Amino acid sequence: MFKKFTHEEVSGQNQVKSSVQRKIRQSIADQYPLLEPVLDDLLPKKEPLIVAKCQNHLNLVVINNVPLFFNIRDGPYMPTLRLLHQYPTVMKRVRVDRGAIKFVLSGANIMCPGLTSKGGALEDEVDAEQPVAIHAEGKELALAIGMTKMSTGDIAKINKGIGVDNIHYLNDGLWKTLHLD
Amino acid sequence: MAHDKLQPQTVLYCGVCGLPPEFCEFGPDFEKCKPWLIKNAPGAYPELTKKAADEAEAKLGDLRLGGEDGADGEASTSKPEDEIVKKLPGGKVKRKEKQEILVEKATRNKRKAITTVKGMELFGVKLGDASKKFGKKFASGSSVVKGPTEKEQIDVQGDFLYDICEFITETWKEIPESAIYVMEDGKRKVPYADA
Ligand SMILES: [Zn+2]
Repeated sequence: MFKKFTHEEVSGQNQVKSSVQRKIRQSIADQYPLLEPVLDDLLPKKEPLIVAKCQNHLNLVVINNVPLFFNIRDGPYMPTLRLLHQYPTVMKRVRVDRGAIKFVLSGANIMCPGLTSKGGALEDEVDAEQPVAIHAEGKELALAIGMTKMSTGDIAKINKGIGVDNIHYLNDGLWKTLHLD
Repeated sequence: MAHDKLQPQTVLYCGVCGLPPEFCEFGPDFEKCKPWLIKNAPGAYPELTKKAADEAEAKLGDLRLGGEDGADGEASTSKPEDEIVKKLPGGKVKRKEKQEILVEKATRNKRKAITTVKGMELFGVKLGDASKKFGKKFASGSSVVKGPTEKEQIDVQGDFLYDICEFITETWKEIPESAIYVMEDGKRKVPYADA
């Protein structure tokens, strides 16, 4: 999604109405209950909340020029990797084996066998079409954020094809976009 | 200790490629990251750090430690280690280990910290004895373990970075405060006196 993302893909930035701001906050709190207590710090009510509309139906939630969350169409909000690194426990997670790391970091989707092999792990039970943090064997921090194509139960059972779509990964365009001016 | 409210973790990113240090090996140019990693994130690649530590031992002697230079990378790549070794008086390449103690804190999980003490043996302190004293003083688990550079170190469960430094200077009078350095969660090593 963000492989070649740059500022130029932002088609418009709008400060959203407070009702919309409330909806976004609520939706993030519902998706990541652990994050709720810190949402006042992350998305302060008095700071203007900007939604940047980008290509491919992507929306970035921006505070003080820093992208913190994003979603696609009306899908679930996901934190940026930089934000996730600060709050590593808020997302459900899966783990790929070491061999998969370089593929994930080149933007490839996550194949089931990379999650079910010895170095991989399905650490949490996750339904299909849900955001997950993608971790890696032997590494502490998440290297990508993805959306499950099938439930973790099916990933283990079917063990073929794409298990998780790779949405945002280390060194992609969003990672490199520290500020949106 | 425990807060209901989630606390943000401070995360260190590589000063060269911008990735978390543990992912530099998969980054655009690992070689370029290495000098920075050795200096700023020695825990990330133990073998790399060990190699550098061996090479740097001679160099340590005439370097002012814990410098405040913010520009990393370039500085350390500019001078090959061999050069400094040759410059030693008498042409001898005997590497004398610098007498210093490094007290390091690393956070494993959100709640679990471990404080590591390296170099006590350089002051003639028996590590087993020191470990016992630490365990007793801080009512915590303390053990002598083999560190990443194959040298023995003392691991104390919990965050006692500064308490341990103080305890060392009180307990072993032969260890000067100036020989103690501290390092917190992959941050730069600084003299305890300045910390
Ligand atoms: Zn790097």
